Amino acid sequence: MVDAVFLALSVLTIGSAIVALEIRSLIYGSIALMLTLSGIAGFFLLLDAPFVAMFQLSVYVGSIAVLILFTVMLVRRELIFNKIEDKRRRYAGIGLMLALMLGLGMVIIGSGMKSMETNSPSVDYKKIGADFLTYYSPALIVMALILAASVVGALTLARREDITNDQRTD
Amino acid sequence: MSTIAPQFRLSRFIASLFDIIFWVLLIFSLVGLPIVFIILFYIKLPIINGQLMTPYLALTWIADPSQTVPIIKSLIHTTFFHVVAFPGFGFAALLSAATIYVERKFLAKIQLRVGPLYCGRIEGILQLMGDGLKLISKEIIIPAKADKPIFWIGPLLFVGTAGAFVSLIPVAPGWVVANPTVSLLAVFATIGFFPIISVLTAWAANNKWTFIGGLRALHQMIAFEIPLILSLLSVVILTGTLNLSQIVQSQQHYWWIVFAPISAIVFFICILAELERIPFDLPEAESEIVAGWLTEFSGMMYGLIQLGTYLKLYAFAGLFTVLFLGGWNGPMVWPPLSPELITHGITIGPVNVQIAGLPLFSQPMLNGTLMFVIKTVGVILLILLPRGVFPRIRIDMLLHTGWYKLIGLAFVNIFIALGLLYAGVLGPGGLIQ
Repeated sequence: MVDAVFLALSVLTIGSAIVALEIRSLIYGSIALMLTLSGIAGFFLLLDAPFVAMFQLSVYVGSIAVLILFTVMLVRRELIFNKIEDKRRRYAGIGLMLALMLGLGMVIIGSGMKSMETNSPSVDYKKIGADFLTYYSPALIVMALILAASVVGALTLARREDITNDQRTD
Repeated sequence: MSTIAPQFRLSRFIASLFDIIFWVLLIFSLVGLPIVFIILFYIKLPIINGQLMTPYLALTWIADPSQTVPIIKSLIHTTFFHVVAFPGFGFAALLSAATIYVERKFLAKIQLRVGPLYCGRIEGILQLMGDGLKLISKEIIIPAKADKPIFWIGPLLFVGTAGAFVSLIPVAPGWVVANPTVSLLAVFATIGFFPIISVLTAWAANNKWTFIGGLRALHQMIAFEIPLILSLLSVVILTGTLNLSQIVQSQQHYWWIVFAPISAIVFFICILAELERIPFDLPEAESEIVAGWLTEFSGMMYGLIQLGTYLKLYAFAGLFTVLFLGGWNGPMVWPPLSPELITHGITIGPVNVQIAGLPLFSQPMLNGTLMFVIKTVGVILLILLPRGVFPRIRIDMLLHTGWYKLIGLAFVNIFIALGLLYAGVLGPGGLIQ
């Protein structure tokens, strides 16, 4: 059962990733990207990590994919989509991917991780929270600072100088 | 010659009889027998009196009620029944249908109108059925330049997502379709799909009104999702769990609305915005942009969207009940089931048929369902009320409310909850359990 679900999820994830890269229509491309991200959430569910899976769905599908969709719909296509047809680039990309997969596979096989324990209980999300606030708290603080800096930067970039304050609607 | 059927011929009549018999046999062998085999293969059938209850004994079931009751009982506890009928789709759709009728009458009474009156003689009670028949019989028109795959699949996805949302709401102790440990996060993940579906169908219809409506829906839902999530964090902090059933169990003595009233108000306003109801119905503003992102839908596609909207309304009202109003907790008002009923069953009629194994449901379940339905109907009426009272607000006011005021208000109650938790008053290991 799990094998069949794993195979179906793999086909869905990789297939829609290829579609997201190759299809002409940008909207369908972003829909395929959503399917890819949902497939990854399915992998997390198979790995007994429903907490991560739900965050994958609500953050990646619910927010980031919406952002991409929004951008694609609002920005004119010529501005972001410069058509470069080059066969050599595609072959170079496939070669790069094969090299990467080969390297990663050799690392995994060389690490001696040949079997996995399947009966372990699912990860408790309370333990994740406790770890974040104790052992990994410096990393959490650095992440929070980076996010805050990026929000401030985005606000600075989005602020338009040509609108005076009495023209604002609020 | 008869005047009723002037073209009557006995040979054709007999031929038509054979025709009917042929089709009955064909449909039975192509549909009926496979269904029997599917039941035999997939459904775990009960064993009664040392005999496996297969569909081949269907006539025995009908003749002997004492054998029918265990079959019904085992059916009630299958996942199929949970999904289709009781805590899942059927129950929610029934409440949604009642909501549509009550909404029309209720708003009419507020505005001194009469509402539906003629259909079904008594206060227009069959109006909804008439509307449904009308929607089913109408033609589905697809705009010529529409993007057909997305346009077709949009309403189905909308109803499916609303159904997924409904399946996470616990109705009575143990009566919930899907009960993951992180069901509140699953709720957040589910409601994140609605803006995508709205904007995709709006884009696919290739119409400027639908597109403006879809973009408005996207803006509004994204803006109000953040205060919605933040307002629920105080309840999560106080209970220490993300499971909705456990959140209900933690409210046996007091409801969380007592300790998190600001969160409840913020959550209620966010419900109104997520459901696109007045005063936040900008995506469907019928006096400005025809019908918003629903403009191009016709016939049953529109009906499906409406069904999904009302399922979503029920699910949000149920979520409010579960999180702030104590869910199924409440005084035990359901009369106790007599022990004779459980041991001997009931005796029906002059022939004295004894049906053992009744009742089908336990007393806590019936009482819990009653309490849940009473509270949820109250919340639904509160959601319906602003439609008769308030005007629609402007989009900049809406975004200002969502991004500034509600987020700030949601944080207020988070700090109150944290204070109560660290003072040792509430929460796991607190003074008040």
